[in-house]
Amino acid sequence: MNWNSLLSPWLWAPLLAVPPAVIMLYFLKLKRQPLEVPSTYLWLKSIEDLHVNSLWQKLRQSLLLFLQLLILLLAIIALLNPTWQEQKLSGNHLIFLVDNSASMGATDVGPNRLEEAKRQINALIDEMTSDSEAMIISFSDDAQVEQNFTSSRRQLRERLASIQLTNRPTSLAEALQVASGLANPGQAAFDSSDQLVAEPVPAALYIFSDGRFPEVRNFALGNLDPVKYVPIGEPDAANIGIVSFTTQRGEKPGQLQAFARLENYGATEVTVELTLLREGNLIDASQLKVPPGDSAATAFELGEIEAGALELRAATGDKLAIDDVAYASINPPQRSKVLLITPGNEPLQFALATTRAEQLLELTIEPVDYLKAEAYRNQAAAGAFDLVIYDRCVPVNAQDATKPGELPQANTLFVGVLPPGDAWKADAKVDIPQIIDTDRSHPLMNLIEMGNVLIYEGTPLKPPPGSTVLIDSNAGPMFAIGPREGFEDAVLGFEIVGEGHYRTNWWFQQGFPVFAMNLVNYLGSRQVEAVAGSSTPGQPVALRSLVKPDKIAVITPAQKRMEVPRGRQNLYTFHDTQQLGVYRVLEADTETQRFVVNLFDGAESDIRTRPDQPIKIGHTDVAGESGWEVSRRDGWKWLLMLALGVLLFEWYVYNRRVYL
Amino acid sequence: MSTTSVPLLSPELLAQLEQMELVSRKVFRGRMKGERRSKRKGQSVEFADFRPYVAGDDLRFIDWNLYARLEKLFLKMFMEEEDLHVYVLIDASMSMDFGEPSKLRYAKQLAGSLGFVGLCRADRVKIETLGQPLRTPGPVLRGRRNLWRMLDYLDGIEAGETATLSEGVKNFCLRNPGKGIVVLISDLMDKHGYEDALRYLVARQMDAYVIHVLSAEELEPDLKGDLRLVDSEDSDIAEITISVPLLKRYKQTLAAFIDGARSFCMKRGMAYMLAQNQLPVEQLMGNYLRQRGLVR
Repeated sequence: MNWNSLLSPWLWAPLLAVPPAVIMLYFLKLKRQPLEVPSTYLWLKSIEDLHVNSLWQKLRQSLLLFLQLLILLLAIIALLNPTWQEQKLSGNHLIFLVDNSASMGATDVGPNRLEEAKRQINALIDEMTSDSEAMIISFSDDAQVEQNFTSSRRQLRERLASIQLTNRPTSLAEALQVASGLANPGQAAFDSSDQLVAEPVPAALYIFSDGRFPEVRNFALGNLDPVKYVPIGEPDAANIGIVSFTTQRGEKPGQLQAFARLENYGATEVTVELTLLREGNLIDASQLKVPPGDSAATAFELGEIEAGALELRAATGDKLAIDDVAYASINPPQRSKVLLITPGNEPLQFALATTRAEQLLELTIEPVDYLKAEAYRNQAAAGAFDLVIYDRCVPVNAQDATKPGELPQANTLFVGVLPPGDAWKADAKVDIPQIIDTDRSHPLMNLIEMGNVLIYEGTPLKPPPGSTVLIDSNAGPMFAIGPREGFEDAVLGFEIVGEGHYRTNWWFQQGFPVFAMNLVNYLGSRQVEAVAGSSTPGQPVALRSLVKPDKIAVITPAQKRMEVPRGRQNLYTFHDTQQLGVYRVLEADTETQRFVVNLFDGAESDIRTRPDQPIKIGHTDVAGESGWEVSRRDGWKWLLMLALGVLLFEWYVYNRRVYL
Repeated sequence: MSTTSVPLLSPELLAQLEQMELVSRKVFRGRMKGERRSKRKGQSVEFADFRPYVAGDDLRFIDWNLYARLEKLFLKMFMEEEDLHVYVLIDASMSMDFGEPSKLRYAKQLAGSLGFVGLCRADRVKIETLGQPLRTPGPVLRGRRNLWRMLDYLDGIEAGETATLSEGVKNFCLRNPGKGIVVLISDLMDKHGYEDALRYLVARQMDAYVIHVLSAEELEPDLKGDLRLVDSEDSDIAEITISVPLLKRYKQTLAAFIDGARSFCMKRGMAYMLAQNQLPVEQLMGNYLRQRGLVR
């Protein structure tokens, strides 16, 4: 039992004066109404008779007084706010880590897990003594200090109430970093003699989470002691979640397929109704049996859909709703822009002009002189092309011919030459290098057989670090691809056509048009994917634009319009991806692309808590305090209820004139 | 409450009362010849008894027929017709001025009714209040032409007399030494008790009737809450908190009070009757008093 007075001492004085006042008023008998009667003879006789047991009679007479005093007493005790069954909080500094990741939205306890956590923290805040301070940090995959150390319980409660559920995955590491910033200031300072080093503030750490986060390695708790982990949620909470939902172009052009995979984290097999909606209209539905502890997948044939937002809903009826819906989006088809600068390359031009290629790309062929034109420089700098193929020519520096030319804001393929600059180097030319290996796993070399390809003359390449060798010969790499600030440069060490002769027999083999297609598909792949990419909530999304305006607009699933300014490398980085759903990108008020945000996180979907399994922080195992119900039972509510009951009884007694 | 525009006795009531006659269980001698047989044998047409002749008797009353048969002288005795003295004693204390109609008005109605019956039978009717000053006795009325005098006198009676019950009765007895019927109309609410007063009446050998008038408010009090009751007569204060046990106790006290008065009267040969002010006078006169034998 503990008393936490709700009133300041000087407010108690008038309150404590109320009972004597009531008694005084009662004995003043202000309430007796005078009434003239013929004779008090019989009344006096009656009273005399009753006065025989006068003490009892007095008790009866003043029952109302006693009831009133009882009500007052109850009210006063209620104001003293007695509490019981409380946990002792250790330490004067407390840090509450509140998990507000997606899985905390599970409704297996309370309204949801986050609210349950808030309730428990509120109970702890109530227990705080006046000289203790607390800090609140909310964390998902990112930690946020909701409230710095303060002793104001009101402020703590307000800030606690303001914590919102997020759709993000969980990571404890950052929250621990933030929490330890104050407890272990030495870790942040450079030297122990540093004047800025603050006194370490030992603090008790309370982690309220469902425990679904990767274990934290390389973290020393230091002054964070003790650490208590309060698992929120049911250990056997069953849940089924969509862990994957993608769309792919089928084998036939234009045909789209959607694939969904569901995982069952429960102990029983569940049959789930899946409904697929396009722009809000039902287009397909199916049933899927998901065995316990396993996953099941299904596919939807979408037919020829040019564009649209897809929404997959799983009627699971489980405790976590956020993973029962997934989104995908198909962007309107756009052809990639390819610039081929060549003195003349019939096989390549032919391979890039097939019917299939025409569907995929928009080819511009320019002579070598075009490199010197102003139009080229502008286009290259503005990134007007997705892929630029330099056939036996390199970009030149218009201002100073001695300096290397600038590479365009696009992926490039250099045929028979090295890109300008120092990154790429090559050995001396060798005759007839023998191809000994190709990297077939790379998309560029997909489905290409190079076994009987002869090369008349080749330059063994020395690609920059981080590059991938795609064709290796006995003399050295003949084809490699390397990264460059968000783009990729591919360099072919041999010419296809040179000085009126074919320098390889590759071009008349089946592999060559396939290579050309790979080239277009991979390097010339649209900056805007045909099938919109999916990102996780809270992660920034980098958007590209063809026209590169100063800013683009993003319409969130909640139909909120947000402006995104152009950033470095013509990237538009959009950060506000908290909501799940389809985001539309507008350029000059025209929708150009979409992207979707999905949870797709098995750790979040698996909402079973593991109270018996400790969480690992560095080398410390923190056991879940199972059944550790931090709750302070507030007495005032019950006391007020009781007082209300007594008041009702008093009213009844007064009205019915019933005394015992 | 003492005066109202409604006449004290309605014509219907008067018509009803004309048929009635006051009955005395004891036949009393009046001073004047009335319409009533007396115990005293006298000169009337109604035969009463025979008795042997003794010297000095009036020869006119000798039954000669009997002498012829028996050769003995017998004197024929006749009933003497006498008047009856009817006294109505009204308690006009403050406590009577309660109720609707007030107990006093009710008492006056009763007194008027009884008085009228007496007047019709040429009885000697005298109405007095308990607080009647010794030196100014109430008017003595006889004959129905005095009805209006009686009603005027009754109208003039106001509540507010302060004499106690016993004092009033004692004074009445001193003033009226004769015998007769006395009807005491009172609520008997006297803190000094009613017993002394009734004993005086008994002692006078009068044919005494006690009509105990109580108002409905006294019989079934409709009170609520915490009250300070003020006695209308002596301003005595009783602080009560109305409760079910108290009301129960009050009713028990009231019943004991009524029973006490009734048994006190019965033991002493007095007739007791409880009259509630809600009971119409016509009904009381026609049924109840007739049953009790006061009127016929």
